[in-house]
Amino acid sequence: MELLIDGIKKAFDMILSGDREVFAITWLTLKVCLISILISTLIGLPLGILLGLTRFKGRRILLLFINIGMGLPPVVAGLWITMLLWRSGPLGDLTLLYSPTAIVMAQILVSLPIVTSLTCTAFQQISEKMLLQIKALGATRMQTLIILIKQLKIAILAAIMAGFGRVIAEVGAAMMVGGNILGDTRILTTTIVMEVSKGNFDIALALSFILLSVALLITAALTFLQQRKRIS
Amino acid sequence: MLRKRYFAVLFALMLLVLSACGNTDTKDTAAAKEKKTAPKPAPTEMILATTTSTQDSGLLDVLVPMFEKENNVKVKTIAVGTGQALEMGTKGEADVLLVHAPAAEKEVVDAGNAINYKRVMYNDFILVGPKENPAGVSGDDIKAAFKKLADSKATFVSRGDDSGTHKKELGIWTAENIKPTGDWYVSTGQGMGQTLQVAAEKKGYVLTDRATWLAQEKNLDTLQIVVEGGKDLMNIYHVMQVNPEKHDKVNSKDAEKFVNFMIDSKTQDVIEEFGKKEYGQSLFFKYTE
Amino acid sequence: MNPLVELNNITYKAQNKTILDIPEFQICAGEFLGIMGPNGAGKSTLLKVLAFLENQSSGAILYRGEVIPKGNVPLELRRKFSIALQQSLLLDGTVFHNIAIGLTLRKMPKTVIKEKVAHWLELFGISHLAKKNALYLSGGEAQRVNLARAMIIEPEILFLDEPFSALDFPTKIKLMEDFKGIIETARTTAVFVSHDLMEINYLTNRLAIIVNGEVKQSGPTPRVLEHPNSSTASFLNEWKKFYPLAR
Ligand SMILES: Nc1ncnc2c1ncn2[C@@H]1O[C@H](COP(=O)(O)OP(=O)(O)OP(=O)(O)O)[C@@H](O)[C@H]1O
Ligand SMILES: [Mg+2]
Repeated sequence: MELLIDGIKKAFDMILSGDREVFAITWLTLKVCLISILISTLIGLPLGILLGLTRFKGRRILLLFINIGMGLPPVVAGLWITMLLWRSGPLGDLTLLYSPTAIVMAQILVSLPIVTSLTCTAFQQISEKMLLQIKALGATRMQTLIILIKQLKIAILAAIMAGFGRVIAEVGAAMMVGGNILGDTRILTTTIVMEVSKGNFDIALALSFILLSVALLITAALTFLQQRKRIS
Repeated sequence: MLRKRYFAVLFALMLLVLSACGNTDTKDTAAAKEKKTAPKPAPTEMILATTTSTQDSGLLDVLVPMFEKENNVKVKTIAVGTGQALEMGTKGEADVLLVHAPAAEKEVVDAGNAINYKRVMYNDFILVGPKENPAGVSGDDIKAAFKKLADSKATFVSRGDDSGTHKKELGIWTAENIKPTGDWYVSTGQGMGQTLQVAAEKKGYVLTDRATWLAQEKNLDTLQIVVEGGKDLMNIYHVMQVNPEKHDKVNSKDAEKFVNFMIDSKTQDVIEEFGKKEYGQSLFFKYTE
Repeated sequence: MNPLVELNNITYKAQNKTILDIPEFQICAGEFLGIMGPNGAGKSTLLKVLAFLENQSSGAILYRGEVIPKGNVPLELRRKFSIALQQSLLLDGTVFHNIAIGLTLRKMPKTVIKEKVAHWLELFGISHLAKKNALYLSGGEAQRVNLARAMIIEPEILFLDEPFSALDFPTKIKLMEDFKGIIETARTTAVFVSHDLMEINYLTNRLAIIVNGEVKQSGPTPRVLEHPNSSTASFLNEWKKFYPLAR
């Protein structure tokens, strides 16, 4: 109990005193997570729509892999990315290991299946009749897609939120491919792990509150967008 | 048309969040930019592989910035287990290593995977145990103490993670010809900090480095130091360069500079000074050859 | 009269079952064609094929004498036709938005859309519902929105699949009268599926009876009703018990 109060106090201290290191870490966390989820959305949304609305050969197998990917442990994603980016690995020449880009790559790997699969599920529930109805109104394929996206806004944003939740909570991959380097790849979750291992529970707790606030802020923004203007 | 509006709002929100956080950051980067405006070439990058306990001690937070400033190098410190650190060296995924498991290091050096192998410093291991000290161990003879622990089957908590500390512990058991197995021997597979936490909960004995103990003592009020000071308890750190002849992407220029930096007398003074303010005692001691 | 749309040897199969088999069928410009038949006869399917929403399994559809490539109907042609489907599937949005959608998709200027929607809302007596979410409408209200959004397009041919089935009687009468007026002034060609002999009798000038996916009889409405042939008599005579024709 004492620790909890200490943690909250410390979190306020850190924020109010404008602790540069904490701000830098928080800022990096936000940047990395938002970029990851943005890219995951840009890829996962069209892919999910394609999988949900069309039928083609190999679709089920692809869907199976994506669904398995939803449960991909971040450390496994981290391991794969690490091996890919090793100096001796296939992408070694890019020297991306231990950079924020590497974290973004790992986070895309863990969030893309979630965004894709949940989007696909939503679009799969569109009935044949609804598609017919939209076509009947004189919509082109593109216009049909736009109408559907608008109709499924809630489900799509839920998919994005789920992906974001995965990304911001993830630590194993970020630790492995980022290396938790101060001022470079140290993000909130990896810092928390480090502070815990140092025995600085109060700092870890304070950081956890900051992490939760960040997550809350973003999720609240998305929720607001999702629940906006629902006419009765 | 309408969709554009939705996504515009989504993007705007994201940007808003980004820029809102960016604002607090601009001061930092502005200050940083001022420094950077001096015509200085972009810093080269060097990967330093070291152990978690070394990083957790905080010593590198002092040394690395010093080195970076002097040499215009960006050091990427990767804190991992001893085994992984040495493997990174062997594979050429790091440029320089700072570790403390002499026996394992020797293999890497002998295989020609590391060169320029230099002793840097030491700190010491200590045996901590429950305040009640049920096995009644004390003094500075760690081997005798381990034997007593095994005989009395007092709870012993091992890291079991192949770290330098774990290897040290196993070495002592082997020297005494004891195979630690049974209910009393708990293996956590975790870092030093967590292992100490487990020991505190289980009221067990545990071999730890002094730096971690000092940093965590405040959270561990059921434990105390029981054995310390013996020669067998020295924890010796070496620095070494990854052999550039084996891997063409290794940054040997900066790695060599780092090795020299670590054994430089000025750096050595900083090492010995470290920790005095906070704990009233040094955490590491000069120990060059 | 030149046929506007012609069907040539059309069949429609689903799951190996022939649902439609129509050797010959025509819709002429300006006519108001009624379609009747038992449940599951294939009326809705025929309408969807005519409106280019479903592809026929075999046979050709001609528009003004030209064969329209199957599965590759030009957008402009598709947009000349409008259909109010049997189920009023409305979108999650306001009633206004639902009625406006056909015009929005055709990229009409906003001011024009506003004006037109207001006009049609008024016509169907649902102005007060404009800002309500279409998903929360009653069955009759939803049907009016469904009808309005099909008619607002002012199509060359209007297809209607039981559009008045869920309306209360006075509304039905009023709407039918208004509807007839609108169609006649606009000279819209209309195809109208219904089970209600009163609606058919009042609105249509030609009637086709479909049973088991085949057009069993077609001709001027009064004549078909008065002289059913051997395959339509059983279906039509049931009706006549309740609606002794007064024409
Ligand atoms: N996609 C499909 N797959 C299988 N069967 C279908 C399909 N579409 C229609 N049918 C069948 O074709 C037959 C005709 O259907 P349709 O909807 O055209 O009937 P209808 O004449 O409109 O009937 P109702 O008066 O009940 O509206 C029905 O037996 C229906 O089950
Ligand atoms: Mg029908």
